[in-house]
Amino acid sequence: MTRDELNTQRLVKEATEKQAQANSRRHFLKESAMGLGALAMGSLLGGCGSMFSQPNTKIAYDPAHPLLPKAPPFMGKAKSVIYLHMAGAPSQLELFDFKPELMKMDGQDCPPSLLKGKKFAFITGVPKMLGPQANFAPRGQSGIMLSDNLPHLSTVVDEISFLKAVSTDQFNHAPAQLLVHTGTPRLGRPSIGSWVTYGLGSENQNLPGFVVLTSGGSFPDAGKSVWGSGFLPSVYQGVQCRSEGDPVLFLKDQDGLDRDLRKASLEAIKQADQQQYEEYNDPEILSRIAQYEMAYRMQISAPEVMNINDEPQYIHDMYGTQPGKASFANNVLLARKLVEKGVRFVQLFDWGWDAHGDSAHNSLNIGLKNKCRAMDKPVTALLFDLKQRGLLDETLVVWGGEFGRTPMMENRNGVQNPYKGRDHHTSAFTIWMAGGGIKKGFSYGETDEIGYYGISGKVDAFDIQATILNQLGFNHEQFTYPFQGRPFRLTDVAGKVIKPIIA
Amino acid sequence: MQEFFGRFHPVLVHLPIGILLMACLFLLLSVKPKFNNLKPAIPLLLFLGAISAVLSAISGYLLADSGDYAAALVSTHQWFGISVAVLSSLLYFVNRRAKTGKLPAVIAALLIVLITITGHLGGSLTHGADYLTAPLNGTKKVTVAIPPIPNIEQALVYKDAVEPLLQNRCYGCHGSEKQKGKLRLDLQAYILKGGKNGKTVIPGNSDESELIKRLLLPNSNESHMPPAEKPQLTDNEISLLHWWIASGASFDKKVKDIPQPAEIKPVLAALQQGEKNEAKVPELPAAKVAQLDEAMLKRLAAVNITVVPVEQGSNYVSANFVNAVTTPDSLVLLLDAMKAQLVSLKLERSDFNNATLKGLKNCKNLMRLSLNNSGVTDNGLANLQGLTQLRYLSLASTKVTVNGISSLRTSKTLKELFLYNTLVKLADLPALQKLFPGCVINLGGYRVPTIVADTTEVKDVKPKG
Repeated sequence: MTRDELNTQRLVKEATEKQAQANSRRHFLKESAMGLGALAMGSLLGGCGSMFSQPNTKIAYDPAHPLLPKAPPFMGKAKSVIYLHMAGAPSQLELFDFKPELMKMDGQDCPPSLLKGKKFAFITGVPKMLGPQANFAPRGQSGIMLSDNLPHLSTVVDEISFLKAVSTDQFNHAPAQLLVHTGTPRLGRPSIGSWVTYGLGSENQNLPGFVVLTSGGSFPDAGKSVWGSGFLPSVYQGVQCRSEGDPVLFLKDQDGLDRDLRKASLEAIKQADQQQYEEYNDPEILSRIAQYEMAYRMQISAPEVMNINDEPQYIHDMYGTQPGKASFANNVLLARKLVEKGVRFVQLFDWGWDAHGDSAHNSLNIGLKNKCRAMDKPVTALLFDLKQRGLLDETLVVWGGEFGRTPMMENRNGVQNPYKGRDHHTSAFTIWMAGGGIKKGFSYGETDEIGYYGISGKVDAFDIQATILNQLGFNHEQFTYPFQGRPFRLTDVAGKVIKPIIA
Repeated sequence: MQEFFGRFHPVLVHLPIGILLMACLFLLLSVKPKFNNLKPAIPLLLFLGAISAVLSAISGYLLADSGDYAAALVSTHQWFGISVAVLSSLLYFVNRRAKTGKLPAVIAALLIVLITITGHLGGSLTHGADYLTAPLNGTKKVTVAIPPIPNIEQALVYKDAVEPLLQNRCYGCHGSEKQKGKLRLDLQAYILKGGKNGKTVIPGNSDESELIKRLLLPNSNESHMPPAEKPQLTDNEISLLHWWIASGASFDKKVKDIPQPAEIKPVLAALQQGEKNEAKVPELPAAKVAQLDEAMLKRLAAVNITVVPVEQGSNYVSANFVNAVTTPDSLVLLLDAMKAQLVSLKLERSDFNNATLKGLKNCKNLMRLSLNNSGVTDNGLANLQGLTQLRYLSLASTKVTVNGISSLRTSKTLKELFLYNTLVKLADLPALQKLFPGCVINLGGYRVPTIVADTTEVKDVKPKG
């Protein structure tokens, strides 16, 4: 017997045993006992379900074609979303929220009223107040104040709605990021991109509906859960692509494996999967088949879309992109290309905005300025570029972090940090939106004179999620998914559409 | 306690209505010999009906005491209700005594009339006087459209701005018909008097005024007004009430005579403009169209054309040909097959050309069309002349020129035209703008200049320990 024959025999034996296991008497009894119980329970719960948990928004989920485009419940203004997340939390006081009064308090001890009953990530004892570390001026026709850290964005403020009084209840990066993207500070819920692709599918079946691009040398603190699919079918999780080298790892055929052979092997896997499906009826198997098929199509289309070399030089000049390098700018340009090709949700994470002042690259006067320099130009270019291609109306661009930064200078463990920096701040920060039916050149919400609390137009992560869904054509209160016996929604039990910023 | 029993009234009233009507019907029918066999049931029915009528009257009296309802309407209903109770008791005894004769039948007929009137009045109390007739008049509730105020400065603050607002949002429960919480908001005296929970409006002190406090409570709070399920006031409306009360809650002053802090100016300006007065462009054509048939959808899907209804339940569709695998000829046919349903279309590939556009000739309902990056030139644009609904046309990165665009000038509906990276020059813009008045023409070509800061980094000059 040759070695090959031996191997084959072993495989056959293993398969037969597996088959036999699935057909044992014990297995049958176990399955049927559970099955009968579940059947009875199911019919009981089904009775409840029809009364209490019938979602009003009906999403037809077809496991064999999970990403086919679906009609939104009502006509939304936006068709796709580009979410730019500055992981680490950029300082609103050096970018958007102009607080001259804070300057007057610079260097003074923080008044006890601001510290009483408060918990900070690092501040202990009595910190000093820290004036704005940037100069502000009114920009554009709308006269919205923006700092000189953002010279380019200043030229496009008339396209943007700023939310100046956003708040959160999480002062650590990971839970705060999860809250922004999944609607809960804990793990396990689907991210907003998953919800959206579940609800709307995607216009391009050769590309993932939900693409994630990261930059800044590190993943977001919350890890891949911020683009996870939670309890939604796994096909809706974000597909992380790279801006350098192969866009998706292992997408290229290995040496010696040509495309026909690849097709044949995928066909064989499909048949095996199909058999499994007929046996177990698990819709996840159908999703898996669909994913293999998409991966095969992506081999052709993804390298083309994910290649920015073909863009003309003036576009590279506009974005400040350098082909072949992994950078935030490249990701931003890719985001435009993907949206142009019909991708539903593009999520960018740029790490490195955590300006505590504990080191030079984490300081307001060095690190933050450099982050701004790398972000300002491509983001401005993105808005202009979408606009000139007639895409800004139907593409919602969201820019923000997971929380803000304190008006006080950070004193880690009671000792002044070596550089100027600010601690995590939950009560007030800025997020902005543009395009997708959002008002142009508008500012909503105000903070007190030192930027500590929001005093009007206060919104939170749920309100922003509700607004994004609204622009896409969903009522966030009716967009639900049944799980563990109750309908779940992205905004859970909260959230209000921010109507004042809707055009 | 009294009110607790009073609240059984809405349940109890249905008993006498049902039982007494049945009794009267039996009584009237049994005049004919054919229905003689109904007779034995009549005394019992009358007895039960009379008892329930008396109980209803008592509970109704207790409920009226709570004062949540319009006094005048309550009093009429009350007397009719009492008369039903009395008359039904009377009928019970008359019927027992008089074995023959017309008297019971006459009383029964009268009773039917009384029950009908009483029931109607009761219904008017709970649902509003116009509840029954509203569908006939085609009017919905008492909300009146607030017309824009031509000159807000000269307008009377209460009469022109505050009163219509209260009428829209509050009168339903706090007006002449109902006074929930013993509060009426339809006349000066009542507004100043307040309700069960004290002063609703404290002139000059809006933060302490119950009205404002309740409006500002979170929706989830039980005391929030209007109740969460009712239409809510907008931020502007709340600001207006807040300002009105803070400035002394005047019932006769003109707007210009009241101090106007900066925050209230935009609110007043909005009142002058009215609610989004500009004629709203409808998002979809008004006409109804048939659904695309299944076979057609299958054919489209088979060649990777994504076609999807613009919203759930709509037959209008948007289509994207980004991955279409099809020959130019069949493309024209496919487009033509969707001609009635198509409102939004993306044909953004270099292999789509002038010949493809022939398929669009009859797409009368097409509103958004993007031909970005396609092989379309001036000659093809002639096919778009018949698109009478076209609002948005994007031709970025195509070889069209000003001549081709000019051929579309018959289109009066075009609102947005994107011509970035085409052969249209900046010098052509004034002429084009004349041809398309009211259309935003975007030539793009935005530059984001590279400044020194873009390519340099801030360095740590004096490292500290």
